[in-house]
Amino acid sequence: MTKEVDISVDFAGIKLANPVFTASGTCGYADELADFMDVNALGGFITKSITLKPKKGNPIPRMVETDSGMLNAIGLANIGLEKFIEEKIPLLEQISAAIFVNVAGESIEDYIAVVERLAAEKTIAGLELNISCPNVAKGGISFGTDPAQVEEITTSVKKAAGKKVLMVKLSPCVTDISTIARAAVDAGADALSLINTLTAMAIDIENRKPVLANRTGGLSGPAIKPVAVYLVNKVYNEVAKSSGIPIMGLGGIRTGADAVEFIIAGASAVGVGTWNFVEPDGPVKIVEGIKKYCSHHKISHIKELIGSVE
Amino acid sequence: MNNCSTANRGIFQATVCENKQISRRFYQLSLETSAVTFPNSKPGQFLELDLSSAALPLTKAIPVELADISQRKILLRRPFSFFNVATDGEKTTLDILYCVLGAGTLRMTTLSKGDSISVIGPLGNGFCVPQGKQTALLVAGGMGAPPLQHLAETLLRDYPGIRIIAFVGAKTKEELLFETELGRPATEKIERIIATDDGSAGYRGFITDCFTKWLKENPVTTDDTIIYSCGPEEMLAKVAQTAKEKNIDCQISMERLMACGIGLCQSCAVECRVEGEDQTVYKLCCKDGPVFDTKEVVFKL
Repeated sequence: MTKEVDISVDFAGIKLANPVFTASGTCGYADELADFMDVNALGGFITKSITLKPKKGNPIPRMVETDSGMLNAIGLANIGLEKFIEEKIPLLEQISAAIFVNVAGESIEDYIAVVERLAAEKTIAGLELNISCPNVAKGGISFGTDPAQVEEITTSVKKAAGKKVLMVKLSPCVTDISTIARAAVDAGADALSLINTLTAMAIDIENRKPVLANRTGGLSGPAIKPVAVYLVNKVYNEVAKSSGIPIMGLGGIRTGADAVEFIIAGASAVGVGTWNFVEPDGPVKIVEGIKKYCSHHKISHIKELIGSVE
Repeated sequence: MNNCSTANRGIFQATVCENKQISRRFYQLSLETSAVTFPNSKPGQFLELDLSSAALPLTKAIPVELADISQRKILLRRPFSFFNVATDGEKTTLDILYCVLGAGTLRMTTLSKGDSISVIGPLGNGFCVPQGKQTALLVAGGMGAPPLQHLAETLLRDYPGIRIIAFVGAKTKEELLFETELGRPATEKIERIIATDDGSAGYRGFITDCFTKWLKENPVTTDDTIIYSCGPEEMLAKVAQTAKEKNIDCQISMERLMACGIGLCQSCAVECRVEGEDQTVYKLCCKDGPVFDTKEVVFKL
């Protein structure tokens, strides 16, 4: 029998059984997935964004399918910090995969308040700083497009995060993503995740109105994958490789082959997002797909693949 | 009796037994799966079908009005109600009526006997029957008919004494979906009132007009009556208004664009009142619905 391929990774000091995460906002708080998939078969789980106060989100329509993708403008609908701690943390405690909580806010004070509170929770391995949501009027992407603001918010949140791993999620909607990545890393980010959705729009030509009530939304799904692979490779080459900061790559991943492509581009871990809506057991199959690739290509450890693009 | 609990949902493969055209735009798809993977379900619940690998019809078979949209590459599953579930030994058959409206349903028409497709279900909460109801008034509009037909047959089976009056509206006679299975014995026991937009069958006009008129002429005991409705939201809002005026319990099945159908994507928000609170909340059509009590729904029309 051949030796089992080792696809475990060290991600900013966290030992992951495999490099596959669920992407924020596509898997709720894990409880919805129980009927379809064993979350423990994954490397990590990232929750839906948590804000200080509960958020209803945007009016409908807040989702529309586009070619090989979808637009969403959910608007960070979530149950809020208190209810999350009360109701969801006990459920997350039963999961062995590394738990990251995605944090969003309208002001730096909001972010700090949420992060300080979550830093005290044993079951949480890390925090993902959402400074790239395109669908909220205040906060979100506005923090993530200016290097000075990225540095300020990352510095403040890093202090509040204590020993928790801080991962900063980057928007592709910037002139130079490496400048933003550099600002986050210089301010103390332990990891980077990219990409968040691309701001996009669909118009109903019958009534000449935007399809989404929010006018614009975030494009996700296979349609954005080549953009994401490019940006992961760019940030890996220009920032992450030299600073030793790991990247979680995401954007349109559906298969083990897609995941391997991101890893070769420079990602140490990968996130599965929109695909969960289609195949709620997809991430587990992606783990298997990565293993299969490695054994087929005689890769004994997945580390050999990270950033190996010529 | 509380029969509102959700059955176990899952992801499974189903085999196409039949996919037949029943009128210009309407088809009936019958799927077969093992009784183990689809143990039980309730009227009003729905399925999510993966149609992404189904082929497009040949260009000449694509209706002109769908030529542009047929070029779309689809990604997400499509939600469908079912109008019949039958378990025979180890097999369960699921029957779906669908209208060809877009890129997904266009591909659906090419599914043929023996094809295997991925299904998620049963999803959502389904209709429930509060204790002591003796009369059920069903108000169906267009594609809202199939789940109500399923409900009617389940009611007749589980509550043999119940009186069912179905108010069925459609654009034209050929789109009267409640009529497609006329031959079935159960449906013969259902009183039917029909309305079509063009007057090709029954009353010419809205089914809600027939419904309010009927209620005026046939006073019912509010406590032992329940209204079930499914169809366009404008229609549901009118039915809800009538139910409120007459103080009759009313459950409606709502429709929303949804990416997942299982509570992950949060797309399918339905604005709902919360008792004792001023602020409304968004419930999810896929998980908290698709069946809602009209007392809680905030209609925006």
